[in-house]
Amino acid sequence: MSILSLDQVNFGYTSKARVLNEVSFEVERGANLGIVGESGSGKTTLLRLLLGLERPTSGTINFGSVQLDPRDANFMRRYRRAVQMVFQDPYSSLDPRQRVRDIIAEPLQSLRIEGNHDEAVAAALTEVGLPADAVRRYPHEFSGGQRQRIAIARAIVARPQLVLADEAVSALDLSTRVRIVELLKQLGHTMTLVLVSHDLGVVAALCPRIVILERGIVVEAGDTATILAAPQHPYTRKLIASVPRMPA
Amino acid sequence: MSLLAVNNLAIATGGHDLVADLSFAIEPGQRLGLIGESGSGKSLTAMAISGLLPPAIVPRGSVTLDGVEVIGAPERKLNKLRGAASAVVFQEPLTALDPLMKLGRQLAEPLRRRFRREGRDLAGIEAETIALLERVSLPQPQRIANAYPYEVSGGQRQRVAIAMALACRPKLLIADEPTTALDVTTQAEILALLDSLVRDLGMALLFISHDLPVVSTIVDQVLVLRQGRMVETGPVKSVLGTPTQQYTQSLVAAARAFDTALGAR
Amino acid sequence: MTTIELDRPARRSAASLTFIVGLILVGLHVAIALLTLVWTPYDPSSTAGGRLEAPSLLHWAGTDRLGRDLFTQIMIGSRIALQVGIGAVGIGAAIGVTIGVLAAFATRLLDDALAAAFDILIAFPTLLLAMLVVAASDTASLWSAILALGIALSAIVGRLTRILAKRVLQMDFITAARTSGTSWPRIVVIHILPNIWPTLMVNFALQFGLAAIAEASLSYLGLGAPPPNASWGRLLQEAQGTVYTAPFGAIAPGLALLVLVIGINLFADGLRDVGDPTRRRSR
Repeated sequence: MSILSLDQVNFGYTSKARVLNEVSFEVERGANLGIVGESGSGKTTLLRLLLGLERPTSGTINFGSVQLDPRDANFMRRYRRAVQMVFQDPYSSLDPRQRVRDIIAEPLQSLRIEGNHDEAVAAALTEVGLPADAVRRYPHEFSGGQRQRIAIARAIVARPQLVLADEAVSALDLSTRVRIVELLKQLGHTMTLVLVSHDLGVVAALCPRIVILERGIVVEAGDTATILAAPQHPYTRKLIASVPRMPA
Repeated sequence: MSLLAVNNLAIATGGHDLVADLSFAIEPGQRLGLIGESGSGKSLTAMAISGLLPPAIVPRGSVTLDGVEVIGAPERKLNKLRGAASAVVFQEPLTALDPLMKLGRQLAEPLRRRFRREGRDLAGIEAETIALLERVSLPQPQRIANAYPYEVSGGQRQRVAIAMALACRPKLLIADEPTTALDVTTQAEILALLDSLVRDLGMALLFISHDLPVVSTIVDQVLVLRQGRMVETGPVKSVLGTPTQQYTQSLVAAARAFDTALGAR
Repeated sequence: MTTIELDRPARRSAASLTFIVGLILVGLHVAIALLTLVWTPYDPSSTAGGRLEAPSLLHWAGTDRLGRDLFTQIMIGSRIALQVGIGAVGIGAAIGVTIGVLAAFATRLLDDALAAAFDILIAFPTLLLAMLVVAASDTASLWSAILALGIALSAIVGRLTRILAKRVLQMDFITAARTSGTSWPRIVVIHILPNIWPTLMVNFALQFGLAAIAEASLSYLGLGAPPPNASWGRLLQEAQGTVYTAPFGAIAPGLALLVLVIGINLFADGLRDVGDPTRRRSR
């Protein structure tokens, strides 16, 4: 069953230049999806559409059986609860003046989710492998990897169905990256991940499904292993050939 | 004699060492990769070699570049050394270039210095600028020379930055994470370009990166740094193939995990 | 990127030292200003000694040409300076921060219009603007001076607020707040204001100093607080004629103004450091 489905989505900031062109794909429950593209591919715009921060110029995005409409405040409240986000830069994505407790609890408060918020925050912290006393501290007291864990805790605290991640590990050191990928993999058991990245290795490690985006067009989509083994489109082939590999 | 000899280098600030007991050498034409994660001191080491450390950070030990002791050398002496002996390519080409100066003029600056050094006629600078832009495989070099940094793509900016480093005809090229800010396909192109330039011009290369596969595609020898200390050094094949230290083993395992996920090549 | 940690403890103790010195200087002025409400060494409006006496144990700052105690006048001037500073910065901050934040959120056209309005108002010399407002009101009173300075300062605060708020708006944590369902007004309160506050704080202190100086200038020109309010500017103006024979008449109020302005700046610097979690030692 698909959580999200995009049907012939077009988007342009001006009437002439299209950033996204006839983009269609589905996000299925339990199958992490990797959206791979380089700068200028339109992946950032696509994310903004999926977050409901922009509306498609034409085409539809369906959440379950309902069409995503950023102007419908009631719908958006349900949607925000179901779809959360992790950003690339763990320095810019956490407010330096808030304590970790308030950062993680923000979705709970803003979406007026009932229950004990402190307990929910504590549970999220445990899940991302951070100590309970982190709640009283400020972001600057943590390393880049730990900060990304805080950002992940914020994304999962409201128990969303879908987590959108924008290059969530590419700013991290290699050894930290492995651990965060491991963490995201575990979260995949309870929620579905859409990872937007230029890093094929990370996408391959996390996502069984993949969409390749080039200049606003989906050039190839499907099963990750199949596409990596036998890429059909020349751009996909170039992308795969460009990934530096370890010496044999 | 080694082109670059680093002996017992230590870099300290406020009483504690950020880098300590670091020794290595680069022979003319040799390629060394400095591998390290954040906080390993890899960029500080590069700055110490080029004499670019900020005043609050004090190096000890010895760094000889092309026979000249860098540590403690006066700025005037360092200035002579920069360009002729070594040149640096930085991670972020947008901040490494002056946003308000046309690329051609920026490139002409180091060329002028070299022409003076070699006693050549300065009238040849313009032709040499275009030749250099062609050398780094930039299409329409005339157009690029007349463009400002923000008018060209990230990959093209990095090519211009490399051209600027080449303009000095250095014996040692220092590249500090030169592809980290770039797309995968652009990275592959820049790596291929660096590889051919270093080979054709007979330069030595000090390549600094946290990315194991990237380093392994371009250097022969590697040195693994962790928290300012050397962990392991040797030929790429042996260090990344059969690492002996636990830290290197964990790095290699991490890199291999992603590599394996990509399947057979 | 390698970030370089400089010697933090030394910087921190220096920061707290400026804070303490600033606190003492400002506190001294506040204490004196409050004291004048209940007690002054002499009656400010009557003769307390000979004319133009030099500073002595009886008259710490000497006397003026009518024989009134200067120290008493300076003490009262302290109250006026604080009143003007707090009033003008308060008005400037209230108007400036509100419009500045609105501009940061506004559509392109409105934002451009507001930015241009700020620039035009700033291009006008603060003092000249204040003089115009005071001249336009029927009676020169302390409050018209405060209002005039407040309006002039609001443009400076507004422009700064707009730029700072725009910078914060670009951060990912704002997008994170939006995708968490946080409303715009709440984003302003919990994310934007706390993040621009430290810089504004320092700016307010500068404005405070400017307002105190501007009030002195207005009074000096006869446009400020009317007698019997002993504003420092008026003291300076009155001492003008006798500056060669009795220099203390000009030096004393000038010194008082200097100490207040320095004190408030040190205080603000320290306040910024104390209020910033990233500069504070934790645990």
